[in-house]
Amino acid sequence: MHVFFFREAWRSFTHHRGLASTAILALTAALALSGLFVLLAHNARVGLEKVGDRREMVVYLNDGVTPAQREMLMQRLGELYGTVAYVGKDEAWKEFSEQIGDPGMLESVGANPLPASLRIKLRPELLNYEEMEKASQQVSQFPEVEDVRYGGDWVRRLDEIKNGLVRGAITVGVVVALAVVFVLYNTIRLTVLARRPQVEIMSRLGASDRFIATPFVIEAMLEALIAGTLALGLVFLFHQAMAAQIGYVSFLPWTWAALFLGAVVVLGWLAAMLALTRVLRSVGA
Amino acid sequence: MITFEHVTRRHGERVALDSVSWHMDEGECVVFLGHSGAGKTSLLRLITHEVRPSSGLVTVGTFRSGRISRSQRALLRRTLGIVYEDFRLLPDRTIFENIALAVRIMGKFAVEDVVPRVTHALHEVGLDGKQNAFPAELSGGEKQRAAIARAIVNRPAVLLADEPTGALEKKSADDILALLSRIHREGAALLLVTTNPAVAHALGGRVLTLEDGRIVAGDPHLPEDMALPSTARA
Repeated sequence: MHVFFFREAWRSFTHHRGLASTAILALTAALALSGLFVLLAHNARVGLEKVGDRREMVVYLNDGVTPAQREMLMQRLGELYGTVAYVGKDEAWKEFSEQIGDPGMLESVGANPLPASLRIKLRPELLNYEEMEKASQQVSQFPEVEDVRYGGDWVRRLDEIKNGLVRGAITVGVVVALAVVFVLYNTIRLTVLARRPQVEIMSRLGASDRFIATPFVIEAMLEALIAGTLALGLVFLFHQAMAAQIGYVSFLPWTWAALFLGAVVVLGWLAAMLALTRVLRSVGA
Repeated sequence: MITFEHVTRRHGERVALDSVSWHMDEGECVVFLGHSGAGKTSLLRLITHEVRPSSGLVTVGTFRSGRISRSQRALLRRTLGIVYEDFRLLPDRTIFENIALAVRIMGKFAVEDVVPRVTHALHEVGLDGKQNAFPAELSGGEKQRAAIARAIVNRPAVLLADEPTGALEKKSADDILALLSRIHREGAALLLVTTNPAVAHALGGRVLTLEDGRIVAGDPHLPEDMALPSTARA
């Protein structure tokens, strides 16, 4: 794109500093709000992924299962669902003892009643309630299997939290996107109206709509970029303050930050195009 | 070049132009003379397609009124140079930038051609050395010279002048008329509208008198096929 258009955009931007500053402040506030939500969603996602990683399915085996049968079952389950580990009766008792800790209570239990089991670390695509329930029913059909546990209610609740966060992020994102478009639409409209004599003269000289509109579009994208950067800065400050208070808080990955800025600039472009399509028809007769 | 065929233009109840027909050829000089409200500005706005005729047909070069698109309208305006009574220079730009804007709008010249073209146009109107001045720093006559430089910088086929001396004192007005006359002699068609009979006759072109939206004096120079009433030709 010709440097002339960027110079024109900068001229308009500096000429209407008050209007541009107001727009940038309003956009920064809206974007910082959405940035905070993105940060929250990101940290929740990181937290849920860590918890989700620990989701596993425990398959209790019948007492009469031979080592050969067990190996075949492990191989089959490994092919179908993920990584399978065997926990013998003695190992299960040892883990239980470590968790309980109180020797008196353990003595009252008497002989080891715990069955041998297989622990399946499920593949990522199976880490949701529906798939785990389906897998549980399928695994329980094997004759070597006595029972299958995976904490269905807990998994379902975890999924509900995750879905709620996704819905919340989408809702906030849409509301903020509309706010960004609304603010920039009106800013560009006012800027064009403030420069009406210039637009009219350019139109009389034979300037195409594209020639007239391009600097205004660049200006809107520039304002969006500045507001987006400021909003990210505010979110970073908030992140630092939170990290000092509650320990480790993950900041947005750079890809998220770049996507955030990219989306904001695209919204700036969209708002300017909408505003100019309407306003140039009335101004540039 | 420019042809009006039975053109009527209404503003609500008021008739600005009433079935006006006239024609001008390439390189010709035509002056429309008339008092305020006679329809002169409407005539110019019809040529630049700022407004459409209520009825009739306006032809400018290869462009015809009617279903002309916004992009075609922009192309049409690039074939014209326009000079206004109030100059219409952009106040926040230097004279050089004002004229360079017209070159950039034209879109067919390389970046390195902008400076020589603008410098040449400034030289033609006698504004050498004023390129860095802002419009507010110039006299009325100088502003109009700058506006003329902007109008001729792209070598338009027709130069339209809307009361170009209306805001100027006598000496500057005479200088501007002499300048316009020279530009016309060098090949550009010139269409000027004015309320001043002295200005109208100073250029030595064909003078058409407008009154209440009608041509009441002068030769409209109609081609033969247009001499008949529109109903007869249809």
